[in-house]
Amino acid sequence: MKSKAHRHPASFRDPSGYIVKEGSSIKRVINPIYFSVYDALCKANFFTPLFKAKLLISHVEQERSEESIVLLPEQIQLVTYPYEWSFHQYKQAALLTLKLQNYALDRDFSLKDASAYNVTFHRGRPVFIDTLSFDFYQKDSPWRAYKQFISHFFAPLVLAHYHGAEALKMMQTHIDGIPVALTASMLPKRTKLSPTLYTNIHLMAKMEAKHKDEYKPKSREIKLSKKSLRNLLRSLYDYIDKLELKEQTEWGDYYNKTNYQPESFNFKKQQIQKWITGGDMRRVLDLGGNDGTFARVLLKDLDLAVVADIDHTAVDLNFAQVQTNKEVNMLPLWFDVSQPSPGIGWSNTERDSILKRLSAWGPQAVLALAVIHHMTLSGNIPFADSARFFADLSSFLVIEFPNRNDSWVDSLLQRKREFINHFDHYNQEEFEHAYKVHFNIVEKVEIPGSHRVLYLMKTRQ
Amino acid sequence: MMGYFTMMFLYFDPGLGAMLVQAIVAAAAGIVLFSKNFMYKVKSFFGLTKSQKDGIDTIDYEQDEKQPNEEQGS
Repeated sequence: MKSKAHRHPASFRDPSGYIVKEGSSIKRVINPIYFSVYDALCKANFFTPLFKAKLLISHVEQERSEESIVLLPEQIQLVTYPYEWSFHQYKQAALLTLKLQNYALDRDFSLKDASAYNVTFHRGRPVFIDTLSFDFYQKDSPWRAYKQFISHFFAPLVLAHYHGAEALKMMQTHIDGIPVALTASMLPKRTKLSPTLYTNIHLMAKMEAKHKDEYKPKSREIKLSKKSLRNLLRSLYDYIDKLELKEQTEWGDYYNKTNYQPESFNFKKQQIQKWITGGDMRRVLDLGGNDGTFARVLLKDLDLAVVADIDHTAVDLNFAQVQTNKEVNMLPLWFDVSQPSPGIGWSNTERDSILKRLSAWGPQAVLALAVIHHMTLSGNIPFADSARFFADLSSFLVIEFPNRNDSWVDSLLQRKREFINHFDHYNQEEFEHAYKVHFNIVEKVEIPGSHRVLYLMKTRQ
Repeated sequence: MMGYFTMMFLYFDPGLGAMLVQAIVAAAAGIVLFSKNFMYKVKSFFGLTKSQKDGIDTIDYEQDEKQPNEEQGS
């Protein structure tokens, strides 16, 4: 590869190689320092079984010179980050990482890092994307990425178990994972009685504090047999496998809570299908898409549906359905429209904001069904701003507007108490007026049996 | 030729405490796994075990998946 000009901003930590964007493709360039490991991995037929099992993103070697080896990996439409995953997505990503380390040990290799950013969701399941994370295993050496695994995976999952899924969002403010000492301080005292939690969190926090100022290499090497390391991995795997959220109650009839008349529900489904499928739109972003009920109607004609919701339970339920139905073109995303995940890390570009990633992906249509009243009345976001927000994302917008007679709207308005008059602008006319600045209304239909109107809009050129 | 030179320290600090603690973590894990295994054997002797789920060693090389153009389940 001739120049490093297009090196991806997230790709600087590991000297083994880097990511470049060439045209529309993402490629991985390997530096000479990693050649020996890469060649040994190829020789050991390390990659092929992982490609087959879809645990590691597949690649082909495209170029080889003395300066670099270039890999072309299977392309991923949209990379999501740990703080955008639901609990069970997170759990699956953690188990995948342990599985890979176990697999690597079998072949005398080892994961040199265990960052949660090494995993993303692709074709309905977690997949490891950092092909250069494997290194030689050194006999009787401890796992050097162990601490990283704990702070990137184990700590967030255990905290989510005790404090709810919101704890996973802490990853947004801790790009290097949640510090072990912080985790230890947040866990209930009784967790010291669990051998797994005591050793992996509390004891580790103590040991880290004790040795934090020592930077000279130890005179005697620290040793750990492979068998012991395997026990460590297996016990973490079993523990994580059994972890559940305490808050999780019954699923199943989750969608019933949203009180639709069957007639309105079916009308809405058919209308959206007509617009999206009829318009041959294959990349759809469903904002406030709940558990994916509406996107699922369109799924067979889509390349990818990204279904975003603020409600963790809905996202997790969506992921459960993706797994059960083995869907490959549905991506559940935990997303709050009023505070989308920002760019974080070095220069705020190491991990791009979700809006930047979404617009790079380029949805052909955005669905905003039953969200505008929440944005306008709960989030106080003016119509002019939400219109610009949608227009920046895609050229087509399918938006559902519940008018003031809708029971949800009424309840949101009543919560404004004495300020209810400040929200008189919440009506269809003002809505259309503001949206017409950015969009042409292609079609609008009233949803029978409801106080809601469905619009198809196209951005003005 | 780099041989078995590991690049780890070039990349990030694994933490001395975290390296030292692994022997203890692994020992505790060994005991937990041993007792679980023992209980499993006792239970299976009395026919009380359910079929084992996916474990760390389970890798399914022939994943089936539904293609987007197939009819989705209802």
